[in-house]
Amino acid sequence: MKCSRCRDLAEIALPSHHAGFCRPCFLEYFSRQVEKAVRHHRMFGRGDRILVALSGGKDSLALFRELRHQGYDATGLFVDLAIPGSSDAARAVVEGFCASLGAPLLVADMAAEGLPIPLVKAKVKRPICSVCGKVKRHYFNRTALEHGFTVLATGHNLDDEVGRLFSNVLRWDAAYLSDTGPVLPAESGFARKVKPLCRLTEYETAAYCFFRDIPHHVAACPYSGGASFTVRKQLMNGLEKESPGSKQAFYEGFLERARHAFAALEQEKGQVLAPCVECGCPTSAELCGVCRLRRQVGEGGQG
Amino acid sequence: MITVRITPGDRVLTFDRLNTVLQLLNKLGLGMTDALVARDGVLLTPDRKLRRGDELTVRVVVSRG
Ligand code: SF4
Ligand SMILES: [Zn+2]
Ligand SMILES: [Zn+2]
Repeated sequence: MKCSRCRDLAEIALPSHHAGFCRPCFLEYFSRQVEKAVRHHRMFGRGDRILVALSGGKDSLALFRELRHQGYDATGLFVDLAIPGSSDAARAVVEGFCASLGAPLLVADMAAEGLPIPLVKAKVKRPICSVCGKVKRHYFNRTALEHGFTVLATGHNLDDEVGRLFSNVLRWDAAYLSDTGPVLPAESGFARKVKPLCRLTEYETAAYCFFRDIPHHVAACPYSGGASFTVRKQLMNGLEKESPGSKQAFYEGFLERARHAFAALEQEKGQVLAPCVECGCPTSAELCGVCRLRRQVGEGGQG
Repeated sequence: MITVRITPGDRVLTFDRLNTVLQLLNKLGLGMTDALVARDGVLLTPDRKLRRGDELTVRVVVSRG
């Protein structure tokens, strides 16, 4: 197969785009897709200070690499969950990667915050991943606001977004549908959240990491169910195979033609938020969910 | 013989006869965009021919969720 741009030997085939690319042309394509997402969804500009949430996984590292490459003012953020056998490995990858880019990195340390995830797991009955997700989002937002970042970027790709949209559509979950999308505007107490990889698939991000020599394998969290093809993902991939481009069309179509209806619905019954008395993050209660969690987890301290 | 190392998981498989990358993906039950196939640090598109003695890496990219 030949490169669609320069006719050199292709290294990657992209059926969704009826295209193939050699390495330099693919990297060019990748940058263009990020630029397009940023511009089209008005994510940020040159004047913005961007905080990029780094998990140690390939997507967030790829995003950080690319934003720095494009000359944006981007700083990394790692939330150390203190999970044995995975947090240390992930932190080492992130620290090493940022050092290699000469890029700044902030670390939010959950052990120091009295919220090491193993302790949280022992004390809380709800599924740990939903609690853990809440803690992470809280510290992303809080770190962004405390350090004066205007934008918080995450490495969600098109497959993540389509998967989430698809499952929310299956449940007609109006609250989630109302804030599905690559940009959540800044609101009082919340930083603007953006997903600049929303036009790129998991496969494309993986190829980018391969070409850019970005570390790609971190010890999985012991609390995750392990890697699996979910039924949803198989369905979407089957559809994409039958009719290339359908993932993108499903996602973009929702954003253009349906999201506003759900957003309006949510606005009607929206809750009034006020700053948490302890940490200042917006909440509908007096004390935000994470501060309540910290109390529940208890004396924990350096736990 | 063709040697194939599959990551994550680090399984090694060998095949006596394989003509193309597409055949390899089919044998592994993988779609064209489920995995990166590399030889000597270079990615191979599904139409590429394989040779006896090739050592390939297959990096499965589909993540959990
Ligand atoms: S898999 Fe581990 S790191 Fe991920 S949300 Fe669940 S507990 Fe947190
Ligand atoms: Zn080219
Ligand atoms: Zn709080």
